Amino acid sequence: MTEVTMPEKSRAVPFRGGGFRPRPVRFVGLGVFVVLIALVEWGTRAGWISALTLPRPSDVLATFGELYRSGALWEHLSVSLVRLSVGSAIGVSAGVGIGILIGLFSLIRAGLVPLVAALFPIPKIALLPLFVIWFGIDEGSKYALIALGTFTPTVVATYGAVDNVDRTLIRMGQSFGLSWLSIVRKIVLPGAMPGILSGLRISLAIGIILLVAAEMLGATHGVGSYILQAGSLYDLERLFAGVTILSVLGVTVSGLIGLVEKRVLNWRA
Amino acid sequence: MLMNRRHALAAMGGAAAAATGLAAPAIANTPLVVGALRLTSHAGSYVALDRGYFADAGLNVELRFFDAAQPMAVAIASGDVDFGITAMTGALISLADRGAVKVIGGALQEEPGITGQKYLVSDAAFQDGVTTPAALAGRRFAISQAGSSFHYMGSKMAKAEGIDLEFIPLQSVGNIISSLRSGQVDGWSIVPHIALALAGSGDVHIVGDVADYIPDYQVTTVFTSSGNAANERAMTESFLSAFSRGVADFNASMVDATEGDAARDEMVRLIHQYVYTDREYEKAAPSIINGAMRLTPNAALNVASLKDQLDWFKAEDLVDQDIAFETVVDSSYVESV
Repeated sequence: MTEVTMPEKSRAVPFRGGGFRPRPVRFVGLGVFVVLIALVEWGTRAGWISALTLPRPSDVLATFGELYRSGALWEHLSVSLVRLSVGSAIGVSAGVGIGILIGLFSLIRAGLVPLVAALFPIPKIALLPLFVIWFGIDEGSKYALIALGTFTPTVVATYGAVDNVDRTLIRMGQSFGLSWLSIVRKIVLPGAMPGILSGLRISLAIGIILLVAAEMLGATHGVGSYILQAGSLYDLERLFAGVTILSVLGVTVSGLIGLVEKRVLNWRA
Repeated sequence: MLMNRRHALAAMGGAAAAATGLAAPAIANTPLVVGALRLTSHAGSYVALDRGYFADAGLNVELRFFDAAQPMAVAIASGDVDFGITAMTGALISLADRGAVKVIGGALQEEPGITGQKYLVSDAAFQDGVTTPAALAGRRFAISQAGSSFHYMGSKMAKAEGIDLEFIPLQSVGNIISSLRSGQVDGWSIVPHIALALAGSGDVHIVGDVADYIPDYQVTTVFTSSGNAANERAMTESFLSAFSRGVADFNASMVDATEGDAARDEMVRLIHQYVYTDREYEKAAPSIINGAMRLTPNAALNVASLKDQLDWFKAEDLVDQDIAFETVVDSSYVESV
């Protein structure tokens, strides 16, 4: 056994690993919001932003307060939340199911991928009048619109995620004699989960966008119909109050998915 | 007021005219954009443009077409359009409250004895016994948006009959028609040429006249930016007088029909250049003739009707409660009736 000798003049190598790992930085996001809103408040008060261009944030807040006190906020929010959750539950569960099937079976992939690709670029809003005839002007057409809108991005994200599961892990499972079902359950699904969840972020954001579209036809309550009404009355305070509700809804949904990610993906750490 | 190129040109033209001591026209060849919908009720602008009345008044008018009343009000506020003719919508009142637009005259009006706007019901509702507007109690009444003229007409009828209606916003006339045909909604109200065409198909039935519930209803108004109303008096007056000449021609040949069939046909051909352009003349003519409601002579303001509309908007909590009539309407340009 020969002895390894270190060269006389060895160079100290600094540690170059690390980085490329997002870490939480508190309050910066909040700060950006505060600065922007303060700027608009100042502009509208000082007069270099006219009342026609942007509403005063404090007026929007007052409108929001009024909405809350009168109980109308809950009236609008509850129907919208039901529409969003029922519609996206249908769309997402069908999307994940079919996405996994496409990822696992070549025949289903050959049959359905072109269909999904054909459905994806259709603006779902354009189909709304059709949905009204098919599913009625009440909740049915709204669920259908949100379901179809969340379905296609979920399918694409899901089969992409299944495709990206590390094949060496699957081969390893096979060489250890795992059954097909075990491989799907223990390797494919957990491996696909990060991709599915990040796809879900996009799908649910699309669901929130479609909420406004779904409430275009025949809705007298709902955040979307509230926004549309404010827009048609050129009532900027109500418009921004409504838009803020949707933004908060988006942040909440994204936060919830973040929580799910933490739980489901803790194997990654 | 912001100075844009058009206004600058107008000011230069005005200054030049003043310098050379020319009395009339006060402003020569002022470029103007006038907002219009492709409806017979906008014939005043078409006639004034086509017969050169705008040119006579020294205005170089370009028509810009819209799909609905609300966007036109917003376009006036943004300065893209100088004058508009459309219904007094919630958007118009809100923009007036923000100091952007002013109503300066009246246009389409309901008049007893002249075919006016109709209340319609779907065939399903009609078979179910809804043969009068009052029988729509508790049923679905289609509107484009809260605060639209459809909402006003439905609401006034409901109040007069002492019934409740469920107002269903469907955004566009196209959506309303398909929903009414398929029986998704029960009732609606609309200008006569659309009402008669729909009733002819048998899917929809006419059950009443808007004029019975809202006599002297000033359906559409002439409006402009607050800047034009306050600072461009000469130009605004020239526009109104040229527009009124177009209105007078339209009333004479289409509504009062005092000039015989040849004049009427000529008028229909003129309007057909702008309305129902996708249909042949023979098919379009009956609709244009049916749609001929009176345009208020001299663009006079029906103050009582406009006040009633403003009060309705306030009562429905669609606009701010403190908006004064004078904030919305500048009645210094035309006479009030």
